[in-house]
This record gives sequence, structure tokens and C-alpha cells, in this order.
Amino acid sequence: MMLALLPQLLVSGIAIGMLYALIALSMTILYRATTVVNFGHGDIVMVGAYLLTIFVVNATLPFLPALLASLAVLFVFGYLLHRVFIWPILEGPHLSLAMMAIAIGYALRGLMRLEYGQESVRMPRPFPEKVFFIHDVVITLDEVVFCVVVIVLLLSSYLVFSRTRFGRIVQAMFQTQRGASLVGIDVRLYNNLIWGAGCALGALGGVLLGLILVLDPDAGAWTLLRGFAAMTLGGFGSLHGAVVGGLLIGILEKLLGTYVSTAFIDITCYIVIIVVLLVRPRGLFGQHATLRI
Amino acid sequence: MKLTRSVFWIAPMLALIPHLLLNEYYQYLVNLTLVYVLVGVGFNIVVGNLGQLAFSNVAFFGIGAYASGILTTQLSMPWWMTIIPAGLAGALAGCAASIPALRGVRLFYLAIMTLAFGELMRWSYIRTPSLTGGSMGLSVPAPELFGWVMEREHDKFYVFLFIVVVVVIFTNRILESRIGRAFQAIKNDEKAAAAMAIPTSRYFLLAFALSGFIVGVGGAMYTALVGHLSPEAFDLVQLIQQFAIIMVGGLGSLVGSVLGAVLITATPELFRDWPGFEELMFGVVIVLVILLLPRGLSSLLARAHSVFKDRYYRDD
Repeated sequence: MMLALLPQLLVSGIAIGMLYALIALSMTILYRATTVVNFGHGDIVMVGAYLLTIFVVNATLPFLPALLASLAVLFVFGYLLHRVFIWPILEGPHLSLAMMAIAIGYALRGLMRLEYGQESVRMPRPFPEKVFFIHDVVITLDEVVFCVVVIVLLLSSYLVFSRTRFGRIVQAMFQTQRGASLVGIDVRLYNNLIWGAGCALGALGGVLLGLILVLDPDAGAWTLLRGFAAMTLGGFGSLHGAVVGGLLIGILEKLLGTYVSTAFIDITCYIVIIVVLLVRPRGLFGQHATLRI
Repeated sequence: MKLTRSVFWIAPMLALIPHLLLNEYYQYLVNLTLVYVLVGVGFNIVVGNLGQLAFSNVAFFGIGAYASGILTTQLSMPWWMTIIPAGLAGALAGCAASIPALRGVRLFYLAIMTLAFGELMRWSYIRTPSLTGGSMGLSVPAPELFGWVMEREHDKFYVFLFIVVVVVIFTNRILESRIGRAFQAIKNDEKAAAAMAIPTSRYFLLAFALSGFIVGVGGAMYTALVGHLSPEAFDLVQLIQQFAIIMVGGLGSLVGSVLGAVLITATPELFRDWPGFEELMFGVVIVLVILLLPRGLSSLLARAHSVFKDRYYRDD
């Protein structure tokens, strides 16, 4: 009897998993380029949704221009974030890098709260809520949008990576920054651009998230940990690993939440992180992750 | 060099003077500062001295606080008897948090994992209402010391000051010993340390357990101070505040932990009426410290006078 629910769970799990995959992917890009794990990424994701709200409500822009504007702002923000705050300490200890990212995310959270205080905000919707039925399975329009946007994005980024000059340079940067600089690539510039792209992608994830979530500055931590769980499960630094990990986390949340206990929805990602790092630290597709002495 | 030791006696004496002038609220802030001195000292051992990216400090703090709270409410133990058990509970959590590190999980892997551990603990405070009061929180009776009930903030102050002084001196002794030097060696180069026959995993376990114990004791003091524990007190905001203490004060410096706690603890209270401002300020301050003063404010003090210099602290 419980199995009758399975198709429904898979569908909603995959839809939310697409979102996690997008967020994890945007973090993986940053990690692959600069080996920095951006602990402030969750807040950047939330800033995306907040900016869109501000553009639509306060500047009365239509949805699509507002979306493009907030992605552009986040791109510039990411560019400057790397140039001003990350690049000068890139050779320094990991702790400084982690703390820098956390501190910037924290400052962003403060900015969001300055604007809206403690009240929770709903992001304006570009289209009304709608529900489709396929046999017994319910699919919301939001879920369809998640899947379409993320799949289109994955395909286009695949094309960018494999077909364009920019994509090939980025691939070279992913392999080794030192080597890339030896063949005359301006590593700093491309790092800036990759950080810009990563933050803009994260902001897009935030906008999608805003469709299903009441905006709250503190949701940044929620987002961050789901992104981490997806990256850990897929293997740190693996691009397709991040996507597969995100989908699996989405499905796992629904399965554990339904078949074990609803309380597990909140902690699925924590459990995944802890179990994966203890049992198989390199995840599904990652490479060596632990230190052996 | 004699002076170095005496500074640990002089500083608390100075803390006694304003005590005579303060009203209850300011005294509460001073007591809270003392709690965060322990939190900072414990946190700094793992992050600053051992050099590991472990974010589990809030979990230790919460476990210590809840251990003390549960023992006083469920077993009606007097508060003073719960201090050591709270520390031991924190140390146990520290041992648990060091397991991934012992298995070779390092850097941001360790950071993410300990972050998940902390959030998991917060979830379990909410999900075990019979013990912890769940999201409603847990109210604890006024702390008791050998039958003396400490109702006023001034009463708690003396007890807290005594505990803090003992723990800080104890930690100073440990960090100046071969244990502290082993931590420093592991921080500088773990493989080289292992090659010099330093049993690195033993020192990992020791550092995490010691950190957990100190922070757990801090948690017991926190329980006595606030009288009401709620799960939100142990969220990621708390983590940032604890990070701010050791970053601003100075990583790997005992003087830094104390200094950071003194500077950082009271600031959120100043900005109560402007939501968001506190977070913005902490964020900016940490960014500035990382960029301009990587060793924190204690490095300025150490340059000003050798009294403030930690002897295990390699100045390079």
C-alpha cells in the first residue's frame, strides 16, 4: 500500500533535487576553479531571491527584467567578491578562506535583515500556482519549471564547456591553475569571471527556491547544507557528481520523510554528509579526499 | 617571565573593580563575557592551536548546557555538581567529533561534517521534548553552590570568575607543555609531526576532548546564568559569534581568546533594536581582521608588551 506513493515521491523528489543540483553545481564551479569552498554561498542564494523581490516590489520592474537585473548584480558581486576578498588570501591558510566566506555571507544576511527586519517576505510569482495530474501523480507547475530550467541550464553549460573558447579555458583552469597561467591564461581574470558566474547561478537557484519558500535570511544555512550534502554525496569537485548528488538528496528526503518519519526531512542532508564522509569520503565520483599518515 | 604568570591574576582583579559599580544588567553582561571566555579558550584549542577547521564548538556548548540543565531538572542535582558532568559530556562530544578527523577527514570536509554535527544536535534538542523541553526550552532553577542559592548576578560572578581563572591557568599550563608544542607541530605540518614520532591521532583526540571539556563547563555556566535554555541559542548565529571571538582576539592565542570574548560578547546587546546591524558588523569586522590583522588583536598587544605574549606562540 505504501508503495503506491512511490511514483509521487520520486517525482517531487526529483523536482526539488533539481534545485539542490543547481545550488551544488554553482558551488562546485567555484570549488573547481579556486579550491575554495564557499561557506557563504547559501546567503548569496538567498540574496538572489531578495534582490528579485526588491526589484519587482520597490522598483516595479516586470518579472523577467528584474530576474536578469538580479542575476547581473550577483555576477558583478561575485566578480568583486573574488577580486577584492578571496584573491588576496588565496595562498593563505584554509581557515582564513573559510572564515572570509562565512563572514561575507553573514554580512549579507545582516543586509537582508536591515531591509526587511524580522518579517518574512513572499517573493512575487511570475505565474499563478497550478497543478497537473498524471494518473495518481500530482505535479505542480513550480516543479515543472524547476526541471525545465535546470535541464536547459545543464545542457547549455555543457555546450559552453565543450564548444566555446571560454569553456575550454575554464576547463584548463579546473585542471591546474599553475598550468593555465603558464600557457598565458589570465588566471585572476578568469577566476573573477567564474566566481561571478557561480554567484549568478546560485542566485538563479535562490529565485527558484523563492517560488516554494517564504523568504527568510536564515534560510541561507538551510540552502548551504543541502548544497554541501549534494556535493559530498556526488564527490567534491565533480560537476556531474553535484547534479546526481542533488537529485539523490531530493529523492532521499522524500523517501525518508514518508517511510521513516517526517522528522527525517530536516536531517536527511546532515545524515548523508556524516555517513558519506565517514564511510566513503570521496563520494560517488570524487577523488581522494582523506589524509593518510 | 614572572610577569607573564601574574597577568592571569591581575586581569581578574581588574575585573573585580567595575563589579562594585555595576547594576544587575551590566553584571549579567560581565558574567556572560566570562562564559564566552571559556567558549573562546576551548574553541581556540582546536581551531587555533591544532589548526583544524572544526565547527562543532556550538555543539559542545549546547551539550554542556543541556547536560547541566537536564541533570538539575530531572535528577534535581544542585548546579555545582553538574559542572564536571557537563564538561565530561562536552569532552565525550569532542571525542565523537574527532572521529572523522582520526579517519583522515581534514580541511573543509571536516568543517562541513562538524557543521552537520552541530545542526544535528540542535535538531535533537528540539526532538526530545521529554528531556530538553523541545522548542519551548528548558527552565532551570537558580544555581546552587553547597546549599547557597545564587539569586543575584553578583553572586554568580565570583563563582564564574573562580572557574574561569582556574581553567585559563590550567589551559596555559597545557599549551606551554609538550602537549601544546605537539599541537603547534601538527598545525604547522601534520606529516612532519608524524615523522618526528608525535602520535598525531592521540593529540587530535586530546585536543578535541580538552576543547569539549572546557566549552562544556562554559555551557554549564551558561545554564546557570540564563536559567532558560532554548535550541535557538545554539544555532549558526551562535557559531559566527564564537568564530568572531577567536578571529578578532587572535587565533591560537590564549590572550586572544580572553580579549576576543571581552570585546565581542556585549556587542550584540548594543544593537538589539536594529535587526541585521549586528550581523553586518560582525561580518565586516571579521573580514577586516582577516585582511589586515590575520593574527588578531592579541598580536598588537604582544607587540606592545611581552607580558601579553603567549610563550608557545611562534612569531613569524
